[in-house]
Amino acid sequence: MCKLLSVPLLFGLIACGVAYAAEPGHYDYGHAATVEEIAGWDIDVRPDGMGLPEGSGSVEDGEWLYEEKCAECHGSFGEAIGRYPALAGGEGSLTEDRPHRTVGSYWPYASTLWDYIHRAMPYTQPESLSDDEVYAITAYVLYLNELVEDDFVLNRHTFADVVLPNQGSFVSDNRPDTNNRRCMRNCKNPGTIRITSMVDAPQKTRGDVVAPEHDGAATYRQACALCHDDGIGGAPTIGDSADWLNRSDRSLEMMTENAINGFQGESGIMPPKGGFLGLTNEAVRSAVEYMLEQGQ
Amino acid sequence: MDDKKTNENKDLPIDRRRFLMGSMGLAGGTLASQIGFADDSAFLPPNSPPWTRSLGPGVLTNPYGRPSSFEDHVQRRSVDWLTADRIASISFTPLADLKGIVTPSGLVFERYHAGVPDIDPTKHRLMIHGMVERPIILTMDDLMRFPSTSEIRFLECPANGGMEWRGAQMEGVQFSHGMLACCEWTGVMLSTLLEEVGVDKKASWILAEGADGSHMSRSIPMDKALDDAMIVYAQNGEMLRPEQGYPVRLINPGWEGNTCVKWLRRLEIGDKPWHHREETSKYTDLLADGTSREFTYVQECNSVVTSPSPEKPWQRKGKYWVEGLAWSGNGRVRHVDVSFDGGVNWREARFSSVVLPKSLTRFGVEFDWDGSPQMIQSRAVDETGYVQPTYTQLRAARGTNSVYHKNAIHTWKVNADGSVSNVQIT
Repeated sequence: MCKLLSVPLLFGLIACGVAYAAEPGHYDYGHAATVEEIAGWDIDVRPDGMGLPEGSGSVEDGEWLYEEKCAECHGSFGEAIGRYPALAGGEGSLTEDRPHRTVGSYWPYASTLWDYIHRAMPYTQPESLSDDEVYAITAYVLYLNELVEDDFVLNRHTFADVVLPNQGSFVSDNRPDTNNRRCMRNCKNPGTIRITSMVDAPQKTRGDVVAPEHDGAATYRQACALCHDDGIGGAPTIGDSADWLNRSDRSLEMMTENAINGFQGESGIMPPKGGFLGLTNEAVRSAVEYMLEQGQ
Repeated sequence: MDDKKTNENKDLPIDRRRFLMGSMGLAGGTLASQIGFADDSAFLPPNSPPWTRSLGPGVLTNPYGRPSSFEDHVQRRSVDWLTADRIASISFTPLADLKGIVTPSGLVFERYHAGVPDIDPTKHRLMIHGMVERPIILTMDDLMRFPSTSEIRFLECPANGGMEWRGAQMEGVQFSHGMLACCEWTGVMLSTLLEEVGVDKKASWILAEGADGSHMSRSIPMDKALDDAMIVYAQNGEMLRPEQGYPVRLINPGWEGNTCVKWLRRLEIGDKPWHHREETSKYTDLLADGTSREFTYVQECNSVVTSPSPEKPWQRKGKYWVEGLAWSGNGRVRHVDVSFDGGVNWREARFSSVVLPKSLTRFGVEFDWDGSPQMIQSRAVDETGYVQPTYTQLRAARGTNSVYHKNAIHTWKVNADGSVSNVQIT
């Protein structure tokens, strides 16, 4: 925080900002974090295993959990649905024209997989998995990448046995890696310039400017479209009247209640409020109404 | 009400006029049928327009003001094919319509991994723990009692321009360079907080973690934390926007935006990096030989001309103020040169803004257009002497699959009709 100003040598000035190097606790704001408070939030896991909890999960347990909670976006074989991330495949593709970056082909550490599933997955219901479930799904994704056998059980001890194939291929940042010169005149031969690629000049509206929709539609776009646009996770597709007809024996009240509280149906799972727990019940109801209107 | 706009466009050929109308977010056909390209003379000297002959709305019509309705076309936009959905997605800053160097808070590009959490600041906490003497939990009120600092710094997603490694692909500067913004950020120096908790001398890394559904996490080296990293709660003079991490986020000046964790809830001090998903699977730079660079934090020197651009075509021959933005994560921009012939000859532009380190810097140069096609480029040099590279140089160093940190000299082709195309040239 203190800077020695070398220019006005005569004065040998030492300029200190307001926040000079203070002793720990100088301000004494806030409160001391308790062990319990830290334990609740300290969820991170490192490659050396620091942070991994007790518990375990098998490839076998992981298979049905994965199918239920992950396959809608990542595909039953980790091949990815649409633009969601692929988790398996792509071995040896990193030097190809179109590399395929997956857990098996690209990721350096298995700890990252455990950490990310635990901190952010499933996409619509983060923090919903038990530690054993995270172990099991992690084990299954490793199995999909042919990195463990089908009888493998992952825990904080067997974790150390899993080494991902691409771990040794990461290097530190060695930029700058280009050395352009600041040439001002006759820097290249004008005759050699040719266009290698081009996008036509725009002629019409770009982007996605849309008129405001009524509330139900707006809530739908924000919270429901993720699954109901394409029927992800067995969700009834918006506008598909046959799909909605199957549900016509249920009242609006019942469907709204299911949307608010979550629902395990025959074809899939409806997470509470689609994972958007900040939505009011009224907003969810208006979105259900909107979806029903579209299905008629 | 829209006559002012149409007047400005009346020298344009009809198809271009439609483009400009469209880009304002208006349905060209509807507009034309309502008002046509009518005679504006009733509004213009020697006549007076209606607004000078009447009263307008009074104070507090808009208790929180917003831009003129004539600026409705200036908005963030997205590219739907880039991501699987809009919850883990990105939108782009409309660079062509920005002035100066500060990006209005509502136009700063968005990048979420689990959408925007709606955080009640009285129920938000920042926990600092790990290899420290005094692990603490701070409320927002606590945080705002520390000595505060305000700095103007750019914020750029490292994937900015990443869609063009293989060739020109984006229609306008909003999409080719718009994962970029620059704001005045106000908060506490991270070094102050680290002094307060008493960091173990063996500690060398910090994990920053967000309170969003993705619990976004990145490992930050201690050197950066002690140098210029800030824990900010305000942006452009008011509390952060929800999209930008309300109520508190990390800013690592000059470093990739992803490290500037939003909705910050936790800082853990440790002695090794965590190698989390956003610093292994993503935000690593795959090279042609199959190796990948990790922890590539700095956004190297870059620049782009924002006018002319596909969004800002030229309308007639004559003199133009050609302008753009330059920035460097390694300090101040020292020079910006502009070429009109595809990089054969260059002219030094002048800075039309204050020149701050790790900030957007605006440059401009006058050009007299004779109506012939032009290949316009800008090339920035920063105070380390680093010169913005060509595509050829960048691809020779990294191949075309790096995704991140593409800062090559960009080319706009001004066509004979004044329209502007995104091109790449040899």
